[in-house]
Amino acid sequence: MKLEVQNLRKSFGDKEILHGISFQVSGGAALGLLGRNGAGKTTTIRILMDVFKGDEGQILLDGERFEPLHHQIGYLPEERGLYPKKTVSEQLIYLGMLRGLTKKDAKEATKKWLERLGVQEYENRKLETLSKGNQQKVQLAQTLLCDPEIIILDEPFSGLDPVNAQVLKDVIKEQIDVGKLVIFSSHQMSYVEEFCQEIVIMNQGKIVLSGNLNEIQREYGKDRLVLSTSKESILDFAKRLEETYMDLLEVEKIGKDHIIIRTKMVGAKEEILQRLLEQGVDLDYFGLYIPSLNDIFVEKAGDAK
Amino acid sequence: MKQFITVLKFELDNYFKNKSFMITTGILALILCGVIIVPTLIPGLLGNQNKEKQSATQSTEGEKTKQDVLGIFVQKEIKEQADKFLQTMPIDWKEFESEKELEKAIEEEKVEAGFVLKTMDGFTYIVNNRSINDSWSSLFEQQLGQWKKEQYLLSKGLTSEQIVESENVSVEKQERILGKDSASNYWYTYILIFAIYFLIIFYGQMIAVSVTNEKSNRAIEILVTSVNPNSLIFGKVLAGALAGIIQMFVIVGSGLISYHLVQDQWGGKLDFLFDIPIYIWVSYICFGILSYLLYALLFGALGAMVSKTEDISKSATPLMLVYIASFFISIFGMQSFSDSIMMKVASFIPFTSGNAMFVRICMGKVAIWEVILSFLLLVVSCVFVGIFAAKLFRYGTLHYGNPIKLRKAWKNIKEQN
Repeated sequence: MKLEVQNLRKSFGDKEILHGISFQVSGGAALGLLGRNGAGKTTTIRILMDVFKGDEGQILLDGERFEPLHHQIGYLPEERGLYPKKTVSEQLIYLGMLRGLTKKDAKEATKKWLERLGVQEYENRKLETLSKGNQQKVQLAQTLLCDPEIIILDEPFSGLDPVNAQVLKDVIKEQIDVGKLVIFSSHQMSYVEEFCQEIVIMNQGKIVLSGNLNEIQREYGKDRLVLSTSKESILDFAKRLEETYMDLLEVEKIGKDHIIIRTKMVGAKEEILQRLLEQGVDLDYFGLYIPSLNDIFVEKAGDAK
Repeated sequence: MKQFITVLKFELDNYFKNKSFMITTGILALILCGVIIVPTLIPGLLGNQNKEKQSATQSTEGEKTKQDVLGIFVQKEIKEQADKFLQTMPIDWKEFESEKELEKAIEEEKVEAGFVLKTMDGFTYIVNNRSINDSWSSLFEQQLGQWKKEQYLLSKGLTSEQIVESENVSVEKQERILGKDSASNYWYTYILIFAIYFLIIFYGQMIAVSVTNEKSNRAIEILVTSVNPNSLIFGKVLAGALAGIIQMFVIVGSGLISYHLVQDQWGGKLDFLFDIPIYIWVSYICFGILSYLLYALLFGALGAMVSKTEDISKSATPLMLVYIASFFISIFGMQSFSDSIMMKVASFIPFTSGNAMFVRICMGKVAIWEVILSFLLLVVSCVFVGIFAAKLFRYGTLHYGNPIKLRKAWKNIKEQN
């Protein structure tokens, strides 16, 4: 299963919100749609879900036009809301039946997911009497109720405490492991880093970076090394490196206990290490720099400020 | 279709699980049954009414039953004549010496009202506050006229017996109504139209609220991505419409059944309300219910245009006014002439035809082609409004904030298509 979004454009009034968004994701993988507030993540997801139409572009599932109502899709919208005056099970069964389950199957699925998410005790309680976190779990239960082939989660972690976030992470991982296609938007990079193979970073309605997360991290770490020492202060160490190895490197960033340097030529890594050892520099750490997703995000999404 | 039925069942369930809905239905049905059945269980209650009616008839025929205290001031010159006349009236007269004394007694509420009789050709009626039912003046006028007529006939040589005989000349009357008897159809037509009025005013708002609710509780995004919006809006509107109809059928049905059980005890006195011919029921179901459905769909569309339930009453006002106008056109039509040009026109405009055509069927002359044409126009309007409401619902899905302008929505829907 492969979902392709091709050149999506959308304007509200005279203002173009999406300027040609394209990405693709396959079953058994998760795509993280990242971006600052107002980047266009939710608009992209809403067009994907046919909540409203895009002005241009197309969405294909396995090469054919994607019609969300013709597939089992688990959708957790950014605007959370169900029926506050109805009991939890009543509304979950209703939503399950709307998505084609029989009443019996909907009841079983409701029981299963409420149990899995640890909110089975609230089955017969009105939704409005539940805490925000538990309401969010009920929302997640409605998303997964019909055993969807595609799962789309818009900011799923917002409002969850660390324990509940862990429950959600586990559930998403399980779904990816059984071959589901997962797309989720977030600006909490640590969660994305944990289980997204593919990422798309959006900024002001454009994709500024997309691809395999490991490759992106490798690419961003290319020609960069991390060094640390405890024998002298980091600032002195940085100054010494810049003065002594001007021909080989430049200091890019000075951290609290480490320095990130950029090498100036191919093969500089080995030579730097050799010269440092020859000069008896007491190194605590010397290695390739692998940037965090957060660093990449800040660099790509912060640029346009 | 399966989704539509799921939505319909869920929404109907909302009504039936609503305690106030069930209690109101039960109480109204019980009250109606009670009003019809209880009087028949109290011995002599319905019979006493007959006796009272009889005595009232007798008293107008001249038999004296003293019951009310009225004041009278009579000019001395005509006292003898006046006394004879006053005895013909079934009233406990209290005489006063002067007009002023009489006025004072009336002001102090010692007597209910009073008459000043200075000649036998005219009188003055004095009352403190005149009530809407006050008929003393006209009764006195009628009685004085009758008395003068008798005096005139006596002066022309007729005996009292001859005068009584001339009064009792009776004419045999037979009526044959070839068309419709508006006098007897009036009340049930009025009640049936009023029932639809109640349904539309009461349930219209509830339907709009049920449509807006999903927007205000933000469940709309999950719903429109799970279910076809047509199934959603038609399910919601029809559930509201059905709930109203079921409620009305339970209440009216309990009244009908109760009346049929005790019809003999009532002696057919309530036939004018309950003995409704089948063709009236059929036309009521066709026109009344369809017109209710049309308004229900319009209210559904209205609900789709706003995002907060508190905005509904403001947005619903123009639609309410249209329906109230339709209701009054029909009520005026019933009271004056049900086949007037206004009623004819109104019976073909879908917003008014539900009431107007029903009134014409009940009380006027209407050709079968007119009924069919009006019905078809109403059906087409329902379908059109339903489709438009669904499109509006879909269009308005994520429009939060101010109510959507109809013209803008129409333009955008056309562009989207």
